[in-house]
Amino acid sequence: MITSFLEWLQTTGLAVLVGESWFPYVESAHVVFLAAVAGTIFTVDARLMGLAARHLRLSYLSERLLPITWIAFAGAAVTGTMMFVANATTYASNTPFLIKMALLAGAGLNMLWFQLVTYRRVTEWDTGTPVAAARLAGFASMLLWTGVIGFGRWIGFV
Amino acid sequence: MDLHQFSDWLSSTAFSQTIQTTTWAIPGIQTVHILSLSLLFASAVLLALRFAGLGLLAEPLASLAARKSRVIWLTLVVLVISGSLLIVAEPGRTVTNPVFYAKMVMLLMVVALTAWLTLAARRTEFRPGPLLVMGAVLTIALWIGIIFAGRLIAYYESY
Repeated sequence: MITSFLEWLQTTGLAVLVGESWFPYVESAHVVFLAAVAGTIFTVDARLMGLAARHLRLSYLSERLLPITWIAFAGAAVTGTMMFVANATTYASNTPFLIKMALLAGAGLNMLWFQLVTYRRVTEWDTGTPVAAARLAGFASMLLWTGVIGFGRWIGFV
Repeated sequence: MDLHQFSDWLSSTAFSQTIQTTTWAIPGIQTVHILSLSLLFASAVLLALRFAGLGLLAEPLASLAARKSRVIWLTLVVLVISGSLLIVAEPGRTVTNPVFYAKMVMLLMVVALTAWLTLAARRTEFRPGPLLVMGAVLTIALWIGIIFAGRLIAYYESY
């Protein structure tokens, strides 16, 4: 069922176009977008861990950077999906790809927990060193995104 | 010795052979390369946005430029080291590849532009003129070009 869906995906016009000629450019655009996503996230993570920009309020920094993160994430998701449909059955059985997706989900859950729980009381630790839960969220985010990039790069090596 | 002979010689050195035969080495070095370029790119984007009057406005440009240029130069050192290791590991992919040289030309241009921008921003009460704003926008175009060229090296046949 899933296999036949993935096989069908690969026969779509977009998949054929990406597979036959666009792939290198879609992949390059994916790297530009992921650099903007990871770079802005690492910048906020460093502030969350109290390692950088401590003179700036955490809420100010994240409000200014997250729009860039989300726009770039949309670009990375679109280009990533284009690469996926071109070789759907291969990616679905590629272990680094599956680990990357799991880490991406982990990064999403970490962000959700932070936004819904820890960030609600941000006014209490907006300046100076953030509370332990925030520092932990920043550390987890950094580890998870490093993993997303590492396993993402590994996809092409197996 | 022409570039092909240089490439073959480099590839035959013990150091290159060690990287080539260590399974995780090339994806590992590439991952360090991408992590560093992510930090550099985000810093360059934030700096360019600030030059254009957008983004992190609460902080004076001089102070933001000092912080961001530190990150840019530091990550650039890591990028040059990891990039050099990748060249030594697989010289056949780069030293005879025109895309690699296009990337290096863009890199020299963006380094010069970034130095100009950060030096100009050292003045207190600094307000960038149209030329500097254009320069800042150009750095982002160049970084995007560099990232594209970097990935396309893998797809272009060497001459």
